[in-house]
Amino acid sequence: MQLLLLLAVFVIATCGLIYELVAGTLASYLLGDSVTQFSTIIGVYLFSMGVGSFLSRYFNRNLLRWFIQIELLVGLIGGFSAMLLFIVFPLSASFRIVLYVLVFLTGAGVGLEIPILMRILKDKVEFKELVSRVFTFDYIGALLASLLFPLLLVPYLGLMRTSLFFGMLNIAVGLFLAIKFSREIKRPGVLRAMAIFLILAELVAFVLSNRILSYSETLVYNDRVVFATSSPYQRIVLTRNKKETRLFLNGNLQFSSADEYRYHEALVHPGLQAVRSPKQVLVLGGGDGLAIREILKYSSVDSITLVDLDAAMTKLFTSNSMLVSLNQGSLLDSRVHVINGDAFSWLRDNRRQFDFVVVDFPDPSNFSIGKLYSNTFYKLLYQALKPEGIAVVQSTSPYVAPRSFWCIDETIRSVGFHTAPYHNLVPSFGEWGYILAMKDSVYHAPTVYVPGLRFINVATAQQMFVFPQDMRTTKPLAVNKLNNQALVDYFEEEWSTYLE
Amino acid sequence: MQRRNFIQQVAALTGTGFLLSQCQTTGQHKIPGRIVGASAKVGHLLRDKKIQGAPQSTTQAEVVIVGAGVSGLSAARHLYKQGVQDFLVLDLEAHAGGNAAAGENNVSRYPWGAHYVPIPNNDLKDYLSFLQECNVVTGYNSEGLPVYNEYHLCFDPEERLYINGSWQEGLVPRNGVPAEDLKQVQRFLDHMHQLRYAEGQDGKDAFAIPVNHSSADEQYTKLDGITMKEWLLQQGYTSEYLHWYCNYCCRDDFGTRYDETAAWAGIHYFAARKGKGANAEHQDVLTWPQGNGWLVEQLQKDYRDKIKLNSLVTSIRPTGGGVEVLYMNVATGQLQAVHAKQCVVAIPQFVAQRMLAPELNRQQLVQQFSYAPWMVANITVQELKERRGEALSWDNVLYNSESLGYVVATHQSIKQREPVKVLTYYLPLTQGDVVTARREAAAMQHEQWVDIILNDLRKVHENIAAAVTNIDVMVWGHGMIRPVKGFIHSDARRLLNKSINDTIFFAHTDLAGISIFEEGFYQGLQAAESVLKARMSG
Ligand SMILES: Cc1cc2nc3c(=O)[nH]c(=O)nc-3n(C[C@H](O)[C@H](O)[C@H](O)COP(=O)(O)OP(=O)(O)OC[C@H]3O[C@@H](n4cnc5c(N)ncnc54)[C@H](O)[C@@H]3O)c2cc1C
Repeated sequence: MQLLLLLAVFVIATCGLIYELVAGTLASYLLGDSVTQFSTIIGVYLFSMGVGSFLSRYFNRNLLRWFIQIELLVGLIGGFSAMLLFIVFPLSASFRIVLYVLVFLTGAGVGLEIPILMRILKDKVEFKELVSRVFTFDYIGALLASLLFPLLLVPYLGLMRTSLFFGMLNIAVGLFLAIKFSREIKRPGVLRAMAIFLILAELVAFVLSNRILSYSETLVYNDRVVFATSSPYQRIVLTRNKKETRLFLNGNLQFSSADEYRYHEALVHPGLQAVRSPKQVLVLGGGDGLAIREILKYSSVDSITLVDLDAAMTKLFTSNSMLVSLNQGSLLDSRVHVINGDAFSWLRDNRRQFDFVVVDFPDPSNFSIGKLYSNTFYKLLYQALKPEGIAVVQSTSPYVAPRSFWCIDETIRSVGFHTAPYHNLVPSFGEWGYILAMKDSVYHAPTVYVPGLRFINVATAQQMFVFPQDMRTTKPLAVNKLNNQALVDYFEEEWSTYLE
Repeated sequence: MQRRNFIQQVAALTGTGFLLSQCQTTGQHKIPGRIVGASAKVGHLLRDKKIQGAPQSTTQAEVVIVGAGVSGLSAARHLYKQGVQDFLVLDLEAHAGGNAAAGENNVSRYPWGAHYVPIPNNDLKDYLSFLQECNVVTGYNSEGLPVYNEYHLCFDPEERLYINGSWQEGLVPRNGVPAEDLKQVQRFLDHMHQLRYAEGQDGKDAFAIPVNHSSADEQYTKLDGITMKEWLLQQGYTSEYLHWYCNYCCRDDFGTRYDETAAWAGIHYFAARKGKGANAEHQDVLTWPQGNGWLVEQLQKDYRDKIKLNSLVTSIRPTGGGVEVLYMNVATGQLQAVHAKQCVVAIPQFVAQRMLAPELNRQQLVQQFSYAPWMVANITVQELKERRGEALSWDNVLYNSESLGYVVATHQSIKQREPVKVLTYYLPLTQGDVVTARREAAAMQHEQWVDIILNDLRKVHENIAAAVTNIDVMVWGHGMIRPVKGFIHSDARRLLNKSINDTIFFAHTDLAGISIFEEGFYQGLQAAESVLKARMSG
């Protein structure tokens, strides 16, 4: 009995330390600043062990049963801790609370176990011996854990499986003790059943851990995640509910199948319809092929060049059946040439001129993307446009971010373009803005549109060019340049106050 | 018992923490890379007078230029522009550029020394026309202000400083700085602004570029007699943040601490820049992935075939009607001679003195020239973890670090994403005296430099050790001239700048007293002008 219990101490010590290492690593990984994370977690853990030790005095009967029960509890909490933390993280407000509660509970459990164990053994072993052995095993366990964790566990199992694995080990010890000492405890069957159930539960979680991770993403996205991949450039996630499919890039909504037509019709037709017999079209960004779907409605168009950074995107939109039906196979059309490359670099080397250009980049939320809204970029755009040609630039929301919107307008005009800004309502985005850029000074609104459109017609198009006062700004605007990135500052300020 | 348990657990756990951190950092893998720039060894052949014997062949040239740094190349360019075809530029290195040389790996080009120039002062017509020739200036606006090529103006975000736990925008300390200090900093900056437009009794700018165009008014020149630190204290500037900033600036520009740098030079750093462009202000800078290596390429583009590399000049000797220059091919060890009518000596004075006849007590004057040792490293990194605050910028500085931080060589890329980057890390070796620092630096191993770099940058990028794929290191024993107290307005500079017999002319930034691109450019230009004048009269 003695040796068995000491082995149990050994396992407990190992498991306890592993849970803390998992918690610390995970918190550093999700929250950053590993020094703070590790020291607060170790602090809370040690403190809660003290609390556990203190509480041990209130356990006076059925010590062995208590010991096993605590063992199971620690195995349960510790085992699922990493998974729980991953899932809770998106609900960021409560993440730290959950983190420290978990650390506290495991710490208190481990803190309870050792004193209880010593009391179980105190009549069987001489005190001197007892102390020496219990702590020897305790510390050897700690050493083992500290070596295994960085060298084997994290690289091979990952955090979630590591904690589940040790959870199972914890419970297995409990189960083993429950079997071994079934005569010394009351109702051992209940304990056994509980332990087996817990082990099975953790085993299932262990096997399904990857899917569970995607479930945690589902929580971020509200809907079921039907596809997720990480390209070198971004995290691409596709979600679906009964009504719609949504695409997220790095967590930002790109479109919802329910109303994307409003966005893409507005992006393409006011400009393209105004070009007389357009032939050559360039699309920058927009690897989803949805703008191209609209462009292909013009029979005069004989070539569409698509430049999109991310091959994973264009591949997804040429292979996934759901998406191909959404873009009507536009990327597979023989008139479409897909180039996976950096738009700025491509445009700098480009010598061709186009009748129509769609500039559909993500919003200028950081300095990397801000470059694609600079006057230097628009100078290249100017060179890439035929004299009679028109370019359209997606320009974020003039309602949420009027300064950003009009800064883009200012910047486009600064290189010699004439502009015609407009906007429409896309329910899943809100009020959205676009800017037509022309070498010619007047925009001749089309008097007829290609058939089959659901949003744009002569009347709705006309309204789009009217800007109410709440989509304007009186503040001074700088031209966005590579060496001032003024737009990124405006954008950050406007969207963060809006989202507050 | 429980107390002991507690303590031992802490020990066990911190032990674990230690183990963990070891695994994340250097413990695991050796960082690849090497110390580059072995030519110091070649240079030492000269110092140790190891080269003797007679030249194996002799050639002729109208003009020989010794040294293909900025000064030498600028001299050559000017001669070329003025129709002199028969000249030869000699440099001991395998590439031109000197301190503005650049390197390249499969990620990017990167500088080994000089990495930027501020926009020029508008009165520097020759320099501006050079910049227009290489399309850095694309034209002039209606007010006559130069329009700068926006691919070459440093992209935003330009500078950030890690201070008091997060990154702030700009290098002037602000984040977490007490109001009293901020007031002093502002007073100092206003003071510098006022000195920027100050003029002496003689009507010249108090602080000009080239240095030699500055006013001789005692009111200003006397600032050469005290150190920057002394001047700050004299003026009642006591803020430790401001002192850090000034020390940083002196170390950045001169590789010299502010308690050694002359106040005149320290102020020159702030007050000499007064350029204004149609789309840029005096504080704006021009930069390229390979730093000033880009300008070096432009300087030599017309006459590349006239540059002879791997050629260590060993002696420069006036002859009857001209000059004889001996040089050794460092690959073969062969000694050769060129006879020329004139020679431009565009190398540092401490080297020049070894190859010239000892006249004008040159050796003694050279004693007053002191040079700063530097370590520069180019670090190839994958995605870095960031601290709070301002995003990765072109220039990234750590408050109170021994280093000057790093510049991102890939910053001027127009690409949306550069997952792998090259960082150029600068460490002026300003602890203690220069001779010791230089000797110790020469003895350092690659791993030791790597440790220094990683320990520094780990403060701001937790995962630096794991993210680094290569670190190459360059040690500049005599990186740049040190404008210590009294040097700029000393006679040594003036006397050593004098030509010998109107046949041997001198051009180097150490003669300017301040090592910047513009000084090199004008040193070369003026030497070339003197050569042309001598030809006219001769
Ligand atoms: C680390 C560092 C960073 C710097 N950063 C900047 C910056 O950002 N901006 C800036 O404007 N300036 C900077 N500088 C200053 C830079 O030194 C000058 O701008 C300029 O490049 C100096 O040019 P130079 O021609 O006067 O001298 P050098 O560059 O010293 O040129 C001398 C040349 O002579 C050659 N040579 C020497 N001896 C011999 C011999 N015996 N035979 C043949 N050839 C010989 C050398 O190989 C070298 O090419 C920096 C300097 C250093 C060291």
